[in-house]
Amino acid sequence: MTGAVDLSFWQVGLALLLVGAIIVISARQALGLERDLAVGAVRALVQLYLVGLILAAVFSAARWYWVLVILAVMAAIATHAAVSRLRKPIPGISWIAACALSVSTAVTLAYVIGVVVRPHPWWEPQYLIPITGMILGNSMTSAALAGERLQGDLAARRDEVEARLALGFSGREAVQPLVRASLRAAMIPTVNGMMTVGLVQLPGMMTGQILAGASPMVAIRYQIVVVCMQGVATALGSLMFVRLAVSRYLTPAHQLRRYLL
Amino acid sequence: MPPAEDLIFRVERLSLTYPGRRGQAPAQVLTEISVGVERGGALTLVGPSGSGKSSLLRCLNRLEEPTGGSVMFDGRAITEWDPRELRRRAALVLQTPVLFEGTVRDNLSLRAPEVPLDFSEPRLRETLSEVGLEASLLDREAATLSGGEKQRVTIARALLREPQALLLDEPTSALDPPNATLVIETVCRLRQTRGLTIVVVTHSPELVRQLGGALLYLVKGRVQSYERLDRDAGGAIVDQRLQAFLAGISP
Repeated sequence: MTGAVDLSFWQVGLALLLVGAIIVISARQALGLERDLAVGAVRALVQLYLVGLILAAVFSAARWYWVLVILAVMAAIATHAAVSRLRKPIPGISWIAACALSVSTAVTLAYVIGVVVRPHPWWEPQYLIPITGMILGNSMTSAALAGERLQGDLAARRDEVEARLALGFSGREAVQPLVRASLRAAMIPTVNGMMTVGLVQLPGMMTGQILAGASPMVAIRYQIVVVCMQGVATALGSLMFVRLAVSRYLTPAHQLRRYLL
Repeated sequence: MPPAEDLIFRVERLSLTYPGRRGQAPAQVLTEISVGVERGGALTLVGPSGSGKSSLLRCLNRLEEPTGGSVMFDGRAITEWDPRELRRRAALVLQTPVLFEGTVRDNLSLRAPEVPLDFSEPRLRETLSEVGLEASLLDREAATLSGGEKQRVTIARALLREPQALLLDEPTSALDPPNATLVIETVCRLRQTRGLTIVVVTHSPELVRQLGGALLYLVKGRVQSYERLDRDAGGAIVDQRLQAFLAGISP
């Protein structure tokens, strides 16, 4: 079994040349994509180089606290991304997202690292950082989808919620159908992904392992673990996020805070 | 105002302010409203749109939280009631009838878990006939009803909770004249037959005239005038805008 072909700067430059060719075509045909393509390519280059440098430093330092710092930064960026698409601000939503994403990721991670994969030491960055990235990314996307749907539904279906409240339902009972719809919306991409995994596209991690020379049979075992933990992380993350977010719209006296809609 | 013990609702110096968001000033919706409603009585809230009529109505069953003053219901401050119990006793019917997926029967027998209510077949039939609907509607899909039928189903749904007061937020505004008349007749009949207290927000002079009771005219969240229609029927209304309103011109 051989490792991956080591790419030189020149080889990376050749890939960028391809983007340059597309930029020229875009300019000639007046497609107006040049700017976005150029910015995208430069951002990808700079971001990934920086990440590469930081990861290399953390890997060689081999200290658990540096690994935790990296994880905390990842969680902060994911939190920001999860709430940045909401159309209207919800008071305290950043804390809610931080809490939902951290707890759902920590629980999933603890199980996968402590029970399933069991690397030595437990904080081995080679395992902990990419696995956390995958879990966090999924939690983030599902929380963002759930939040968007919940907010839209609360605005569109507020009469329905208030009709239930007026009939003597508790706040939690009154929003239950909306909570369910948001969670379903958040889970659909993950569930669809589970259905077609490997059939349409080889998942990123599996592709990486195969490129790095691992046997496909090892790669699929890791991928099965990943699929399971993604399902758990999206469900946990969106459930916590929606439950906490919807509580911002309700009062202890079972009222809907309409001025937030 | 009649003696306190005869009042089912007693509103004192009630104010409602919505918090301002992101640098905006707080919005003052209601200012120092005081009014009482007798048991079995009727109160109609009128005024231009945005005058706070619906907000006042929603303060009565605590769907809105007053920011100042107090509301007493049946001798107790509304903050002492379990909000769910309060809302069953002071049942609110919204402007646009909200019916859920399912049959009329499903909609009538909606209830929170562990709330004992009588949804037996005879009760459902009886309540439907109280609002002037045929018992044959019970198994119809709620979505297939006409606007007037839907509104009367929501009134029946409220009645099945055995309320002491019925709060109606513009119950006829979404209806055509014949259906509006049917709803008005239903509401006035309920006041008589059940001795229900009725508080209603409306733009309909016909409803005001038929219902009687008292009239509270709000402008910009403040009481502009309060008139009793029962005793001095005809001619006693001093406020010219109210006269105009009752003559069928919107204030």
